[in-house]
Amino acid sequence: MKKNIPNRLEAPHEESNPVLSWWAGGIGIGLVLIVAVGLVQPIGVSAQYVVLDGVLLHQVLPDVASRSSYLAKTAQGWTLATYEFFFVLGIPLGALLAAMATTRFRTRVVPVEWKKRFGSNPGNRLVWSFVGGFLLLFGARFGGGCTSGHMISGMSQLAISSVVFSAALFISGIITARVLYRDGASRC
Amino acid sequence: MLILALGLALGAAFGGLLQLSGASSHTKIVNALRLKDLTIMKLILMAIGVGLIGVYALDLFGLANMKVKELYILGIVIAGGIFGVGFALTGYCPGTALAACAEGKPDAWVTVLGGLCGALAFAFMFPEVEESLLAVGRYGPVTIPDLVGIHGIWIAVPLGVVCIWLATRLPEQPA
Repeated sequence: MKKNIPNRLEAPHEESNPVLSWWAGGIGIGLVLIVAVGLVQPIGVSAQYVVLDGVLLHQVLPDVASRSSYLAKTAQGWTLATYEFFFVLGIPLGALLAAMATTRFRTRVVPVEWKKRFGSNPGNRLVWSFVGGFLLLFGARFGGGCTSGHMISGMSQLAISSVVFSAALFISGIITARVLYRDGASRC
Repeated sequence: MLILALGLALGAAFGGLLQLSGASSHTKIVNALRLKDLTIMKLILMAIGVGLIGVYALDLFGLANMKVKELYILGIVIAGGIFGVGFALTGYCPGTALAACAEGKPDAWVTVLGGLCGALAFAFMFPEVEESLLAVGRYGPVTIPDLVGIHGIWIAVPLGVVCIWLATRLPEQPA
């Protein structure tokens, strides 16, 4: 049986609002990086998308997978039992536990800011999420890292490539966001 | 298999922190890029500030396992540009998308699926890209201390302090 909740009450709870302040989150992430650098290596995420691709492709079409030197090099030994992959597996695990522990597990298809600009059509949002995800990982692999590997880890190591990547990322992201969501705030 | 457990634990700490501090929220990321809510910028600056000082302090005792990424100027700029478009469109990055997946956001599931396709596309384009775009302005894995010729700690500490100071000074909601 469905409870009779007015629709407007559901809206503000669609996104998971932060419960940790920016400084606590920032110090925490900085400490995770320091521990990772001290014990193993800097943190990174995007290469593991290639690893999963490689391992899956190697399962179905081993010849095709082996032909790509990039896949063979990144997904060394065609295995997921590595420190790097388990680090990435830990991210959704930790996020799930955090969301559950703070009762902030919320589901929705269309995010608030997207809805304001492009309406509540879920198909629209999902198609563009796919396109965006494609660009995100294409760009990350092209540049050799993502927000974790380049920005957090790379900047902390004073890597010049990471400074250049982060600057390009923010300039492009800020321009795209301005163009994409420009009417979001003023719309009633 | 201790190393796998360590990976899972560190990853879980990272994912938990991203979730709790709102970094996995589409609203927070998009409004950061629109410069309407700088909370995420403050968080990133703080993480880099703490990371800089910590990593180079470890390095001082020879305890830092560094892994510096290669510099190839043209390719990195184009790559960052492409990444930025994806970042604004989805409101996630490759890591926070995974966190958002776990907190029940279907658009993040599709983002990860798109990401797997994008990563695969790049893997097969790599030989061509490597010879052309990645060859322009290629300098290898260089760092600022390499360039200046002094120990990193002398740059990391002041820069780290500046990052943390900037993080505290940036307004959460600029006018």
